[in-house]
Amino acid sequence: MAIKGYTRNFPPLKILSDEQIEQIHTGTLKVLKKTGVRFDSERALKLFEKNRCTVDYGSNRVRFPEALVEESLRSCPSRFHVQARNHENDMVWGGNTTYFQALAGTRTVDLDTWNPRTPTRKEYYNGITVLDALENVSIIPWYTPWFGFKNIPPVMAMPEGLAARLRNSSKFTCAGYSMGCEVFNIQMAQAAGTELRTMMAASPPLTFYDETIDAAYRIIEAGFILLPTSGCVYGGTAPATIAGSLISGNAEIIAGIIFAQLIKPGTRIIVQDFSFPQNMRTGAPAFGSIEISMHQAAFNQIWHWYGVPTDGAVCYPNSKMIDYQSGYEKAIIASIGALSGTNTIWIQGALYGELAFHPVQAIIDDDIAGMLGRFLGGVNVTEETMAKDVIDEVGPIPGHYLNTKHTRKWWKKEQFIPKSADRLTHPEWLKTGKKDCIELAREKYEEICETHRVNPPLTEHQEQDIEKILKEAREHYRKKGLISDAEWEYYQKDIASTGYPYE
Amino acid sequence: MDDETKTILENLRKAVFEYDNDLAAKSATQSVEKEIDPLEALDVMTTAIREIGDAFGTGELWLPDLVGASDAMQSAVPILEKEIKKRGAHRESLGRVVAGTVFGDIHSIGKTMVATLLTAAGFEVHDLGVNVNAKGFIDAVSKYNANLVVMSALMTTTCVEQEKVVAELKKEGLREKVKIMVGGAAVTEEFAETIGADGYDPTAPGAVALAKKLLGK
Repeated sequence: MAIKGYTRNFPPLKILSDEQIEQIHTGTLKVLKKTGVRFDSERALKLFEKNRCTVDYGSNRVRFPEALVEESLRSCPSRFHVQARNHENDMVWGGNTTYFQALAGTRTVDLDTWNPRTPTRKEYYNGITVLDALENVSIIPWYTPWFGFKNIPPVMAMPEGLAARLRNSSKFTCAGYSMGCEVFNIQMAQAAGTELRTMMAASPPLTFYDETIDAAYRIIEAGFILLPTSGCVYGGTAPATIAGSLISGNAEIIAGIIFAQLIKPGTRIIVQDFSFPQNMRTGAPAFGSIEISMHQAAFNQIWHWYGVPTDGAVCYPNSKMIDYQSGYEKAIIASIGALSGTNTIWIQGALYGELAFHPVQAIIDDDIAGMLGRFLGGVNVTEETMAKDVIDEVGPIPGHYLNTKHTRKWWKKEQFIPKSADRLTHPEWLKTGKKDCIELAREKYEEICETHRVNPPLTEHQEQDIEKILKEAREHYRKKGLISDAEWEYYQKDIASTGYPYE
Repeated sequence: MDDETKTILENLRKAVFEYDNDLAAKSATQSVEKEIDPLEALDVMTTAIREIGDAFGTGELWLPDLVGASDAMQSAVPILEKEIKKRGAHRESLGRVVAGTVFGDIHSIGKTMVATLLTAAGFEVHDLGVNVNAKGFIDAVSKYNANLVVMSALMTTTCVEQEKVVAELKKEGLREKVKIMVGGAAVTEEFAETIGADGYDPTAPGAVALAKKLLGK
């Protein structure tokens, strides 16, 4: 299925005044110049030193001159093409485009008890099939649908996950980094003929660890897309204020951008706002908070001003169940993200924070995405849509519009029809078993697993390459002692099973 | 069958699928002029609208399609019926239905859906339109020798009008001759029982099943 991207046909929401943008920008420049950012990588420190930065090798602190900040921001393309495995699923990020992407969780949940558990291999592959089938999922990111599945050693979760996404989807996907797995991820993407996007995640406040830096080097050198991100928590790893955490987070992101543009000018960048307030009771991020939307709206506005594409709407709910709370938390964050002009929105699938995902939730979320996509298109005002002649022809009662050619031509273009929402009349609903959207989405899930097939599947040659790369990765991590004897035994049994790799 | 006959019958079918009222009326007239059996011509359209009704039932088609197809068929039916009558022929059907939205109510969509799906299922349906008073229903029952009365009311203020029609049918001695189905947003199963109707269903496809059940088909 070809993906659906949306174009926003009206100006974005502005939560900041021009003066406030200037103030935050000046504050960010000051942090970059005075406080600096820690880079735990000798190679990176030398690169910065060679390029007009002040480097303190004792604390690994890099301080950035204003001119370099501006040059690096200018070096980022404001709009660029992104290549998926199937070119029908390619995208253009930047400007007024908006795409939706799936949102991962560590485990699945039981829909009757709401207890979390590790998914099976078959559930993992089915989860990807559902995301491939949903028309508003344009990106299937790292760790999606889950962080791993049964019988897979943790160190192999990312390469196995990427292989599964390449096998069961031809949409654009991403890969993360951990223990150097990006080496294998890059090879698999190249074998399957797709580009990748990988995160360059700061460890707030103001720090990049060596593993992140090494992975970013590899992604940039492979010519893929980098997603510098700040995952700060306001009140914990950033100031408690939205303005302060914007400055701190943007300083981290800009440091990542400078790094990328020094290595390879013109590197495609999309910046992410993955920050949350601190839940001052539990210490966890306060997912689903309205401040997330305030932060993201300001973030999107500032980065439009910088001219860099944004990934500024991460719709993690706080709710542990598919319920009213998960619905309103996701819909509010996604709506404000869409209105404030983010280029990508994470929504389909996640439940409580990063801790759970369910494909049934993804099906419901896909309707939120479709509704917002419809809204972004704006009101189409043309001679034909104004329908002046039709109004004249139909006239007052007994005239009506249901039987006009105009209605038949336009109603489907003008109305978004949700897949899982209950839209029956009350008597019909009573008569057909009082199904709610969760039950309707469960039926849809079964239907998709039964009928949907990836287009195109991997070629035999691509499949062989991917299996070969996975084998190398398994042996590499086994040799390094990162897969225990017990894990290896389970893993080998899983690989040798008749349903491998899909079941 | 000669080519011209074939084309006329194809056009009658096409008119239903393309919601083309003009083509439907024109082809019906040509069919009469060409002396094609009007029952055969009607059957072509009934088959077409049955397919439309089925596609509506599965969710493939929508209300504007159903109404568009129904309008096209209604553009041809009076022309063909006149010819059937002229020839003294008899139209086979599952039952003769008079359908209408009751007096004081001008909401036609629900009634049209039911009328269309009943036609599609093989009933002979006489759609009386909207704002039909008790006398209108009584006259139509006599005129068409109907055995099923289908009444719709959208509003709580007008569904009581259905009770009046039932009472008038009794008064005129026609109640035992017909089965009565009621529907519409304001109607409930309990209400239907209270006013002495024979059946109620909340959905248009359900109304077809109910009609068949009531007439023992």
